[in-house]
Amino acid sequence: MLAQKLHLLRHNVLSFVSSRTGSDLTRRQYDVIVVGGGHAGTEAAAAAARLGAETLLITQKIMTIGALSCNPSLGGVGKGQLVREVDALDGLCGRAGDWAGVHFSILNRSKGPAVWGPRAQLDRERYRQFIQSELLSTPRLTVLEGSVDELLVSQPNPEEPGHHRVTGIRLVDGSHPILSSSVVLTTGTFLSGSLFMGQTTSPGGRMGDAQSCAGLSYTLKETLGLRVGRLRTGTPPRIVKESVDLSLAQLQAPDKQPTPFSFLNTHTHCKPEEQLPCYLIHTTPGVERVVRESVHLNCHIQQDAKGPRYCPSIESRVLRFPGRRHQVWLEPEGLTSDLLYPQGLSMTMPPDVQLRLLREIPALHRAEIRTPGYGVQYDFVCPTQLTPSLQVKSTQGLFLAGQINGTTGYEEAAAQGLWAGVNAGRTALSLPPMALSRTQSYIGVLIDDLVGRGVTEPYRMFTSRAEFRTYLRPDNADLRLTPRGFEEVGCVTLQRYKKAVSVRDGLQEALMALQSVALSSTRWREKLGNISLSENKSTTLNGLDLLQYKDVSFEMLASVFPECLSQYFEYSQRLKIEAVYRPHCEKQSREMERIRREESLSLPSDMDYLSLPVSLSQEVREILDRVRPNTLGAATRLPGMTPAGIIHLLNYVLRTGQRNRHTEHRNRSSQKEGEKGQLCASNIPISQ
Amino acid sequence: MSPCTWGLWRSAIHTLKTFSRASPSARGLCIPTRAVCDAETIFALSSGHGRCGVAVVRVSGPASSMVLRNMAGLTQALPPPRTALLRRISDPQSKELLDRGLVLWFKGPHSFTGEDSAEFHIHGGPAVITAVLQALGSLEGVRPAEAGEFTRRAFHAGKLGLTEVEGLGDLIHAETEAQRRQALRQMDGELGRLYQDWSYRLKRCLAHVEAFIDFSEDELIEDGVLNQGQRPAAIVSPIAGTTRDIVETSLDIGGFPVLLSDTAGLRDSSDSVEREGVRRARQRVEQADLTLVVVDSTQLPPDPQLVPAFLQEYLSTVLPSPEAGMKAASDRVLLVLNKSDLVPEEQRERTEGELREITGLPPACFLSCYTSTGLEDFLTVLQSRVKTLCGDPLSGAPSLTQARHRAHLQQSVAALNQYHQYRDQDLALAAEGVRLALTHLGRITGRVGAEEILDIIFRDFCIGK
Repeated sequence: MLAQKLHLLRHNVLSFVSSRTGSDLTRRQYDVIVVGGGHAGTEAAAAAARLGAETLLITQKIMTIGALSCNPSLGGVGKGQLVREVDALDGLCGRAGDWAGVHFSILNRSKGPAVWGPRAQLDRERYRQFIQSELLSTPRLTVLEGSVDELLVSQPNPEEPGHHRVTGIRLVDGSHPILSSSVVLTTGTFLSGSLFMGQTTSPGGRMGDAQSCAGLSYTLKETLGLRVGRLRTGTPPRIVKESVDLSLAQLQAPDKQPTPFSFLNTHTHCKPEEQLPCYLIHTTPGVERVVRESVHLNCHIQQDAKGPRYCPSIESRVLRFPGRRHQVWLEPEGLTSDLLYPQGLSMTMPPDVQLRLLREIPALHRAEIRTPGYGVQYDFVCPTQLTPSLQVKSTQGLFLAGQINGTTGYEEAAAQGLWAGVNAGRTALSLPPMALSRTQSYIGVLIDDLVGRGVTEPYRMFTSRAEFRTYLRPDNADLRLTPRGFEEVGCVTLQRYKKAVSVRDGLQEALMALQSVALSSTRWREKLGNISLSENKSTTLNGLDLLQYKDVSFEMLASVFPECLSQYFEYSQRLKIEAVYRPHCEKQSREMERIRREESLSLPSDMDYLSLPVSLSQEVREILDRVRPNTLGAATRLPGMTPAGIIHLLNYVLRTGQRNRHTEHRNRSSQKEGEKGQLCASNIPISQ
Repeated sequence: MSPCTWGLWRSAIHTLKTFSRASPSARGLCIPTRAVCDAETIFALSSGHGRCGVAVVRVSGPASSMVLRNMAGLTQALPPPRTALLRRISDPQSKELLDRGLVLWFKGPHSFTGEDSAEFHIHGGPAVITAVLQALGSLEGVRPAEAGEFTRRAFHAGKLGLTEVEGLGDLIHAETEAQRRQALRQMDGELGRLYQDWSYRLKRCLAHVEAFIDFSEDELIEDGVLNQGQRPAAIVSPIAGTTRDIVETSLDIGGFPVLLSDTAGLRDSSDSVEREGVRRARQRVEQADLTLVVVDSTQLPPDPQLVPAFLQEYLSTVLPSPEAGMKAASDRVLLVLNKSDLVPEEQRERTEGELREITGLPPACFLSCYTSTGLEDFLTVLQSRVKTLCGDPLSGAPSLTQARHRAHLQQSVAALNQYHQYRDQDLALAAEGVRLALTHLGRITGRVGAEEILDIIFRDFCIGK
């Protein structure tokens, strides 16, 4: 099927591009316009279209749609979970990764399935091709090459909160406006972006591309009055593979059996034996010396803007932790690429110094640079100005996703893009917006952290950010999200839904079958040989109990009860994980419920906290006014918030009859529970 | 502490088993179902904390009927709602009789909180109250209420009118404030430092485990995650000035938890270390609820008639604010006249006679630590003084806070046990144990968020993959 799509791409390249110039071919009215063709933009456009919205994707260059601007890899610890969730909601990046991956490995394999990190090195070219062909074959989606000059806004719909309403965009070259109900901005590093290399600075968001759209930046800051901040990031030089002495590097082999990202795929496109290796090398004291000697030639690192602490440039690494050997990974850029990507060597010094630095590392002593590393600084919109549906609170119909919200990483961008696309589509189709709970997904954690707490440095996902990590596992993302994605959200195709339901039912049957087989622990020991069961002899254990033991696998149990278990072999790994984690997840369920209830209590976005006629301390008022939490749950998590303050807010919510319009509860439980039930958040922690 | 710790381990293990067995539901896959999400059952002493004839202990939540059955020995039907019933109230585990009192059953929603509720009207003595509260805390699924929790539940159930609701925030604020002050008092002592130290170390442990999970940088993780600290032992010698730092220990006196601080002797010294010890001692005297002023009997004037004036003078140099002090002093001070074995018996008896005549001086007890003579009498006096103090409503209710702390600490230890259980098997589940332990400790010392953990990670490790 994939090959078919690529074929399609070749045939459709013409029509793809023709929509750019032929203004007659371009409709002037869409449901959703997505600006930007990166990871956020492509997921947003595809999701909106899947939902049934007529969607227009506008990008500066069609050929860079789906480009991997920085590292040629996808997934990892925390990030892999996001990829699985995007896939469970029928997004693109998981399947694109399976198509383009050339080196698959599951990180953290020894640390427990909840924190496994599916990861792959990608072939840049193939990834781009897959994304482009997917978009091309997506019904209701048009792609247009162009640069957006201005966001069109008008008076708000008085029945909804907000001061403005977005009505469409105007292109730089086209004089006519293109109208739409929703606009999703995914401009990445292009919002007032500047590029840094050595002592030179130039406007732009990515080397080799046109510079940023000043008009858009102006609309956001001046017309809509949004607060923005500035962040920085960087990318390493690309090294010619032939010039590297790989005999001096340590080989890192991929997993023998690649694990696909997508729940739809049983295997990856790349054959196991065709996978490419990575290489590990280390920095030397010489590297540190070059960094120190060239600090004065390096504008980027002298700037104030915050860079990511967890993906620091080599300059920050050696300056903050001197006298150490730092790891550098040499990663393949693709099957046919003659380049290597040195992960961990992002740098912004002048190109000649970059070369000197690289050659201080033994394996790179004759290295040649194809393109030098550089730094980027860009504006982001403080994400506390967004709702959990990723809409700008003050502007009806305007959604933001990706780096513009202060995040970093392809996976974080894709996750937000998908959810912004879903809500842009829903808004255009007059459906109420939706939020994902942090108790149900990493995407929910990501968005709740962004809109509830804001960012001070580029935000990256970590598993430690998720309270319910043992439930939010990569293995069960389909069960957590796919049924809802189809039944409530509308972003999942029937085919995927059917598959998820059949998996769910199959697992369910298998679990029941496991529970139906019971023996005394003595008998189990006889059957299974030398396993250590802590129970005493006469205790009866069922198959599910037994599967919780470290040394017991589903296959072992199936060999004892082949007639009732062997039909479930395909689920053996998932059953094992489920058996081990389920008791812990059940213990957490009450806390989950508390958080969900608090999430379901929305605080009006236009609330005037400074003059609210309830008893709140000035300190608490200022915190609330600054962050403007969307829900009581977000307010509870604010540092400095007092228990009394929470009660007053709850009281206010009750009195003013504000009902939550955003939550997942809306369609499911509110009718059943009635108003009392929904407003009942009885376990607000009083001692924080 | 150790018997109580063991009790908690047993109950924790028991809980784990219950959970691992209880998975028959066919909808198990899609995690939390509403049925298991019911509110917890809480209890609290609802009457004032002072001495009173009758104390009311309230229980609210789904397990209330279970509580009533277990505590009041009701094997058959529950009593009719809102009808007082005289029952023997006993410990559900040991079956030991705790008190005889009235029990009432309120079927939800016809109760103060709108939930199933029960009330125990028991005798007001601190020992009875403490015993009943401890018995309640030992029941599974039942925990001490947080400040204001009954009121809050009532509010959520729509049981309070708007005017009542208006004052609710302030009420809870006041309750929290009282609790906070009490917490501060405790936080200031050795106990508080201990909790803070545990909390800090757990945070670092968690940060290291989380870093290991999120960054796969094996070489950065230090081992020895849970090394226990050593308690300093006090050095005792006949030389004045031996005790310099404050040595503290927790004691149970008459059923009340008492923190005993041994300070440096208050004397002028040219030794700068000893002077610091004296300064700390004076500071501690100001914070103390009860001060034992220990005087060397051999230093008393040989003429018994001069002893009261001598002691008066001595107290004024030792105790803070002597002018306001005398009234307070008799309540908050006990004079301990040590080394009585070195004083002739006849002189001691005459001195005791003198001291009985005098008003305005705190009670004085002769004793000898060397021969233990007089120790019994002294402990009786001390115990009655502690009881008076703990019955003082202004001091809060130590038994309540203790119950809350104990519950959180027990859960914390159970969670750490989970860490050890899974350490080599599944790091995600092991880390969950540390997270839980920290959450429970955080209920005492303050909340810990993911950001704080990440800050420690980035401070301690160079992350660069």
